[in-house]
Amino acid sequence: MKAMNRRKLFTVCATIAVASLAVTAIPAQAAEVGVSSSEIKLGMTLPMTGVPSAGYNKIPAAVKAYFDYVNANGGINGRKLTLIVKDDQYVPTLAVAKTNELILKDKVMALLAPLGTANNKAVAAVVNPGARGIPTLFVNTGYSGFSDKKKYPTTFSILPSYIMEAKIMAEYIKDNFAGKKLGLIYQDDDFGDDALAGFKQAGINFDVKVAYASGSQSGTTAAGWMQKLQAGGAEVVILFGVSSATAAALGTAAVMKFAPQWILGSVGGDATTIKAAGVPAGVLYNAVGASFAPATTDTTDEYVKLFQDIYLKANPDQIFDNNVMVGMNTAFVTAQALKAAGSNPTRKSLIAAIEKSGKNFASAALVPLNYSTTSHVGYNGYWFGKYSPTGDLKPAGGVYTVYTTDSGNGAVVKSTYKRPAMPAKGLPN
Amino acid sequence: MRKQRLLSLLSATSLAVGIIVSIPVVANAAPACDGKVPVQSCAGVTSDGAPYAMMVPANFNGTVALYSHGYRYNVDIPAGIPIVGGYTITNTPEPVPGGNMTVAGYLFSQGVAIIGSGFARQGWNLDSALATNVELIDTFKKKFPTTQKVVAWGSSLGGAITQALAETHPELVSAVAPMCMADISVNAELTMAGDFLWGVKTLFDPTIKGGNYSAGAAGNGEAITDIVKVLTVMGQLQAGVSSGAWPTTSSATGKALAAGGVPSRSALLLLGLMAGLPTQSAHFDSLSGPAGALKLTFPLAVSPALAILENGTNAAILAILATQDVELQAGGAIFDNTKTDYSARVENEKVIYNAALSGNTVINALLGALSAANPGAPRAVGNAAAIAKMNKLQHNTGKINVPTILMVGVADPITPAGASQLVVDKYAAQYAAEKLAAFKAAKVNGFVPVRNKLLMLWNQTSGKGYTSFDPTTGSPLTSTPAAQGTNHCNFTTSQLLMVAKTLVSAGQTGQLPTGGALVTAVRKAGSLAVDPLFRAPLLKYYNEQN
Repeated sequence: MKAMNRRKLFTVCATIAVASLAVTAIPAQAAEVGVSSSEIKLGMTLPMTGVPSAGYNKIPAAVKAYFDYVNANGGINGRKLTLIVKDDQYVPTLAVAKTNELILKDKVMALLAPLGTANNKAVAAVVNPGARGIPTLFVNTGYSGFSDKKKYPTTFSILPSYIMEAKIMAEYIKDNFAGKKLGLIYQDDDFGDDALAGFKQAGINFDVKVAYASGSQSGTTAAGWMQKLQAGGAEVVILFGVSSATAAALGTAAVMKFAPQWILGSVGGDATTIKAAGVPAGVLYNAVGASFAPATTDTTDEYVKLFQDIYLKANPDQIFDNNVMVGMNTAFVTAQALKAAGSNPTRKSLIAAIEKSGKNFASAALVPLNYSTTSHVGYNGYWFGKYSPTGDLKPAGGVYTVYTTDSGNGAVVKSTYKRPAMPAKGLPN
Repeated sequence: MRKQRLLSLLSATSLAVGIIVSIPVVANAAPACDGKVPVQSCAGVTSDGAPYAMMVPANFNGTVALYSHGYRYNVDIPAGIPIVGGYTITNTPEPVPGGNMTVAGYLFSQGVAIIGSGFARQGWNLDSALATNVELIDTFKKKFPTTQKVVAWGSSLGGAITQALAETHPELVSAVAPMCMADISVNAELTMAGDFLWGVKTLFDPTIKGGNYSAGAAGNGEAITDIVKVLTVMGQLQAGVSSGAWPTTSSATGKALAAGGVPSRSALLLLGLMAGLPTQSAHFDSLSGPAGALKLTFPLAVSPALAILENGTNAAILAILATQDVELQAGGAIFDNTKTDYSARVENEKVIYNAALSGNTVINALLGALSAANPGAPRAVGNAAAIAKMNKLQHNTGKINVPTILMVGVADPITPAGASQLVVDKYAAQYAAEKLAAFKAAKVNGFVPVRNKLLMLWNQTSGKGYTSFDPTTGSPLTSTPAAQGTNHCNFTTSQLLMVAKTLVSAGQTGQLPTGGALVTAVRKAGSLAVDPLFRAPLLKYYNEQN
């Protein structure tokens, strides 16, 4: 049967190849799951409902807004980009079920930006896209393990790893808060373990550590966290958790009038999400935050301006925030990857294209991509800044000072990376 | 309960069709037949004392389907004990799965005869059942000399017996269908159940014997006592699911964990995960939650533990009764976990079920408590001679000699899907080797294509979830029928019919269905998948074999 199908496809391909000699505008027929003559289907799993969905549920609309922009400008080699989104509620077993649906029923070409360390690990272990040759592009987690090409051969990271983030954050702490009593709130799983590994690598010892099990975050549990931090005398507290945990911590601390110097990890540091959870902007004021992309309020940045225009045109009632910025940037990189995969993209050619050309893809980030045939590491650095009185994260002194490092024992260094200019109209070349 | 249901079904079937005519008391005598039309029933006893039944339609077309029933306990269990109480050892013949008359009727309509034995001994009986089946085929052929094709199928241990028949006597069968097949290794099968039982004993009730049972009636008593203790523990765990309370019988190690704030549901889940039990059960899908505040929390933090509670209860009973039976045959304790690294076993699972396990801190505390280094969690030491003897019992290799149809529920807690996956993996290597040999031989004799001889049918659980909740209280309902893909050998009549039809066709043509015919058959059967890229996890036993 397989052989017959292939023969049939070859015949179809041959027919269309001849036809395309005459009508070159018609894209060649592709023989890949999720790729037709007019469409490329991509699938995404993430929490769209439930407590942990806060903020992250804006990502699909951000990706779709950019895809629609690409589609309105001719698509990728004549094919429109379609995103199919499944709500996994941040439950790993549900992520497995929904990913199976994307692969078997929706027949997507690739998985795009699936969110969550545990969810991605569950999918890798049970669905095993790696063994099936299904690309898992730009996972929305900074767990360092996903850039292990041997273990996850079709997975590409994009976010800097949590180890990198912790190492760079550690340098910031040493430079700015030396001698202060340190507290840490972290998710008690691989996400948190990565952070612990990074801080350990950097020689940071915490006076108080609070671990929370994923899904247990709430105002009630956060009160217990704060009591522990207060009892331990924490003066500087790092929040290395998801948005809902960060918001619960900040909101509860404000009620308890506990006001240490906050340092927010990138995962939970989106100001819009925190404010939407009921935390007053003033609570965020002067907190330290990190990002690899330009500040979302920096409309002098050509990417911010373009992405903001595209997003707000498609979603006029929404706020352009960091989750949106990250989502649109991921879509932007994805479009380039698909373009680089050739006129008849396949799963194989898509992976090869990222490995071959990914490090040269244009991107809004202020740090480089690090893809190669031996590396599936995405970005590798952060800049630090402080939240303004209105809750916007801005670089210290108005200048982005970016640091890069690796997930091993490499040093944290000041980056000399110069971001190339955005391609014309923000479309893949 | 299921066993009882099967037996009662079988009993009803016997009455309905008159399978059991007067069974000759003389072993190995020719079968006695009633000569009825349209289906005549015959009965007899093989030379080893195994009763059998034959049902032959008047339009017999030369094909006979030999069915092997699954594991039946080899000990009487007093009434009053939940789930298994009131069972008495029986060797009633079972010529069709569960006495399913629709399936039997279909086969008769096709001119196919059915036969099956009750076997000479119950318990883990691969060796004796294989010999019985070989003799039964010969007896049938002598009685019905127009027989041309024999196809064989079986469930659970009967699946393993069927596979054994195809491996050791491929000349006797044209096609086989092992369903919800026990693992090719008795050691692997009992290790899964034994690991769970050891964990229950170690954390929740150290007075559970858990193995090394005495011989004779004393051993039977010990096993029954263990079942009662396990059921008591499970009842207390169920009561403490929300609060996290531990059973009153918990060990010092368990009490220390409880004092440290470890919820009992997390401990129970970890035991299930390290044993390799499925985290979906008859009523708990680990996907759905009730409307309201628990919509997310329930599947994330509670449902997996409840699934282990349902599945683990069955696994623990199997561990007790099958271990006792195999120990009798092997002459000593056969479960040994002195070298088992439970931490390595849950490398993936501790991430996937991190929330239900209450986070890495709790996971590490539990794994530390269960490690070999903790004197408060003494490991079970097996009897080397007994283990060697157990390993000499009939076991399968997974070699596929004739067209073979495997079917298993992806969340079967007794014969996990991984047992069938192992055969699929082995056949992939076998098929590749056969193709290579064919290419090499082509240079001399011309190319002879190698036909695929294996069809794997996965009985899936619903990806949309199936746990139902009381609309008023939000409590999960457990009175509904077991979901597809869960429970042991939980197949619908449509699925059994699909297997029967495919089996007979493969036996007669030597070919398995492919393409549109297969897709249509699978769709009609419902809930089945033939995704060649689906992978079930192998039994955890194989972690220690590499």
